[in-house]
Amino acid sequence: MTLLQTLTHGFWRDLPPFRLVLGLCPALAVTTAAENGMGMGLAVTFVLIFSNMFISILRRVIPGKVRIASYIVVIATLVVLVELFMKAFFFPLSQQLGIYIPLIVVNCIILGRAEAFASRNPVLPSMADGLSVGLGFTLSLTLVGSLREILGSGTWFGMPVFGAGYEPFAFMVKAPGAFLCLGLLLGLMNAWSRKRGEIFIQT
Amino acid sequence: MREIARLVLVLGLIAACSAAALSYVRTALEPRIERQSDFYVRGPALERLFGAPASEVLGNKIIVEADGLSYPIFYFQTEGRLAGLAVEAPGKGGYGGDIVIMVGLDLESGKMLGVEIISHSETPGLGAQVEKASFRRQWRNLEIGSPAALSGNGGRIDAITGATYSSKAMIDGTNQIVDLLMKHEEDVRAMIARRDDRASAESGRDR
Repeated sequence: MTLLQTLTHGFWRDLPPFRLVLGLCPALAVTTAAENGMGMGLAVTFVLIFSNMFISILRRVIPGKVRIASYIVVIATLVVLVELFMKAFFFPLSQQLGIYIPLIVVNCIILGRAEAFASRNPVLPSMADGLSVGLGFTLSLTLVGSLREILGSGTWFGMPVFGAGYEPFAFMVKAPGAFLCLGLLLGLMNAWSRKRGEIFIQT
Repeated sequence: MREIARLVLVLGLIAACSAAALSYVRTALEPRIERQSDFYVRGPALERLFGAPASEVLGNKIIVEADGLSYPIFYFQTEGRLAGLAVEAPGKGGYGGDIVIMVGLDLESGKMLGVEIISHSETPGLGAQVEKASFRRQWRNLEIGSPAALSGNGGRIDAITGATYSSKAMIDGTNQIVDLLMKHEEDVRAMIARRDDRASAESGRDR
């Protein structure tokens, strides 16, 4: 992959969670509002860029047998850093996201990119990969969050969208609404890919 | 053998670096995090418990050391007399770790004013329901002098269905506070009185 491809593959070809189908848990759980989705996405982006960076720096030092353990230590450290920063500077957001911030440690996208990309590539492309996949994830979560918030609460980033007469479709901000929204988006994207004749992993 | 030594060394070094980075950042950010949680969590909790503006009570804070733990205590006065306390304690045995709670105590009637959650890491939708007002309301008017218990154990608190551990952690925290007060009420009163004398002496000097 060229650097440009590395920088853009996270936006469509490997767009998480839709194309990689990884990181579904936060995509379903925190996207009750656009702001929460975006906050979660940005936290993941930060962790992804730096975990890719450190793992790429250490890729020749880390022995194969303990690589997963080493990756997890690096990722967990970064996640706790994000958690502390969020508590110190964006306290209300950290309360909204709650337990899902520590759970970024087990987000498969991060371990997946470490194993599939950062452990085999130099530092700069690895960071570009983290940025690209992370921003793709942020966009996806913001999209799911926006749809659910607009339909479910009648607001977008907290601003009212419809007039006062709008009856919120509360189902969308509850858990089943998340599955419905994600499933429909996934289906639409697959239909679009098929129409364009793209080859992708899901069959 | 040499290979094993290398595995241990590399993993150990990575862990050591991460521990160093984390403890550095934690120490650097701790005061800021405390201020944020005073503003967003403790302040509103105290307002609900005491019915007084947070700005008046947040500063009324002492820290009591007992049994190797330190308990932050906020106090509330009416007409110069000590009327209420809000004691913070970590309830042990929650599903995702300690549930830090704050219990308001009305010293005049000897009853509890209520309970507030300061922090928890319980499962959303299950244990996290300890935050619900309908559950916390059960703490109102409990006797300060006697330990709290779940209704299954002959007490007055109904546990949340499917979240027995979280409910038990809340009871544990409450009983730590009851215990603390039974053993150290005099010390607490003395500390507050001393702190008050000092505060009034200082404000006298300012004038």
